[in-house]
Amino acid sequence: MMLNSTVLSTSRLSPNVKKLDFEWNVDVEPGQFIMIWSPGIGEIPMSVSHLGNPKSITVKSYGIVSSRIMELAPGEMIYFRGPFGNSFDIRKGKKLLIGGGSGMASLHPLIGPGVHGLVAGRTSSDLLFSEEFEKDKVTLATDDGSVGIRGTAVDALRTIDVDQFDSVYVCGPELMMYGVMKELGKYSAFVQFSLERNMKCGIGVCDSCSIDGFQLCTQGPVFEMETVKNMREFGKERLNISGRRIKYNL
Amino acid sequence: MNSTPLRTEIGGITLENPLMLASGILDENGYTMARILREGAAAVVTKSIGLDERTGYMPPVVFPGDGYLLNAIGLTNPGIDSFGDEIRVAKEAGKPVIGSIFGKDAEEFLRVALKMESYGVAGIELNLSCPHVKGFGSEIGSDPALVEEIVGELKRKLKVPVFAKLSPNVTDIVAIAKAASASDGLVLINTVRGIAIDIFARKPVLTNGYGGLSGRAIKPIGVRLVHEVKKETGHAIIGVGGIYTASDVMEYIMAGADAVQLGTVLMDRGKSVFREIAAELGTLLEKLGEGSIRNLVGVAVS
Repeated sequence: MMLNSTVLSTSRLSPNVKKLDFEWNVDVEPGQFIMIWSPGIGEIPMSVSHLGNPKSITVKSYGIVSSRIMELAPGEMIYFRGPFGNSFDIRKGKKLLIGGGSGMASLHPLIGPGVHGLVAGRTSSDLLFSEEFEKDKVTLATDDGSVGIRGTAVDALRTIDVDQFDSVYVCGPELMMYGVMKELGKYSAFVQFSLERNMKCGIGVCDSCSIDGFQLCTQGPVFEMETVKNMREFGKERLNISGRRIKYNL
Repeated sequence: MNSTPLRTEIGGITLENPLMLASGILDENGYTMARILREGAAAVVTKSIGLDERTGYMPPVVFPGDGYLLNAIGLTNPGIDSFGDEIRVAKEAGKPVIGSIFGKDAEEFLRVALKMESYGVAGIELNLSCPHVKGFGSEIGSDPALVEEIVGELKRKLKVPVFAKLSPNVTDIVAIAKAASASDGLVLINTVRGIAIDIFARKPVLTNGYGGLSGRAIKPIGVRLVHEVKKETGHAIIGVGGIYTASDVMEYIMAGADAVQLGTVLMDRGKSVFREIAAELGTLLEKLGEGSIRNLVGVAVS
């Protein structure tokens, strides 16, 4: 079913990232996503970055549909299907969130008092929501060194004593998460990854988002370390938008 | 008592139960197909593969409604030359993998089929019925002469069995079925052409506008076409369209199907549906007092 609502407000978080707020009175769990439709143009998956009511999505411009969604003004209609997917299993104890680029949108609902963050991106404007962590509880990393550590999320992770955390939640580009998985494998914390693949149908039939036989849209996108570690495709290969197998160059 | 009451056979392929995965659902990635086979499907049919890579349509490519699903994916596929890995991985599950193919004419069908056969598939299913891509599928499948030429050419050149998947979007399906009589089995039916309009956006939801209707809503149409084609041709048939339960499977079998394919039900019941329906079928068979599902093929056709 296609749902719709009215955009209540918008705010620009960085030169190419915008937050859109809209009324939607249903329960959405942290980590779930919706498919946003721009009528006559196309449909893309979006994490629900702010739960409660109104809800928000955090849109980064990367293609024709996301650009059109970013142009939506208060009062305009927003169309969507969902919510889809499973959610993060939020454990008691000390938490570390590791977000790469727009992956922070999916982790945003987990930010709270005492929660630590590792926020990474190519450059300073890619670092979403880093200011929402308590000052002494956030580590930043950028590829270009414009802010924080010059390096990757894995470089930044090596500066953190992971043993102090009971649970770790990770979302970002696949190769970043692959590196993070290798590094976190040294520790015993409970770890969950929110994976990312080409999302098309959202309802577990089209096979575009599948990884190792799991459908991200219905069985994911959140998977535990044990599952991810045993995946043959994760971090190694994926299908492109046509279904052609692409090997990552590692 | 028969120790393999659910075992059936189509085109010389033995199936441990009559439940196959239909083309177009969860069959683009070899790992997914292998998992579905391990979940209890007797065989899988791949996504339809053509000569060249196609990205298909921009989403929305599906629209789920009450009791149905509309889709217009647009024959998204990597091109036959890039599909070998998926077959290899799917075959790790040790069960039959049937390659679905499409083309614009007999020559193109043959090129794709020979390559697909070289990957080690158990059979080839011809998509003569995709309802939403111009120049392919049902545009070809509604021309009896072309169907006869394609099926004939493939039967002459291939070693593996050839199945012809037909469209319900034709005036006389029996004429098309007869044109495909050289095939090892007919697959009935593909989706029924449809559309959904979002009344607030005042536009069709699917990017392609028209799509193919599947799911519970089309089951009576599928069973009727299987029944009609069985009655008129006696040909071996794989039934597909709106199967959600063991009793749906039984209807198709009694209408003349030797095996069936499940697709849209996976949206509602997930991949475990194969194991569940197989178990339900066993119970149902006992209730019907039959030792083998083979005894029931076509019993409702006079």
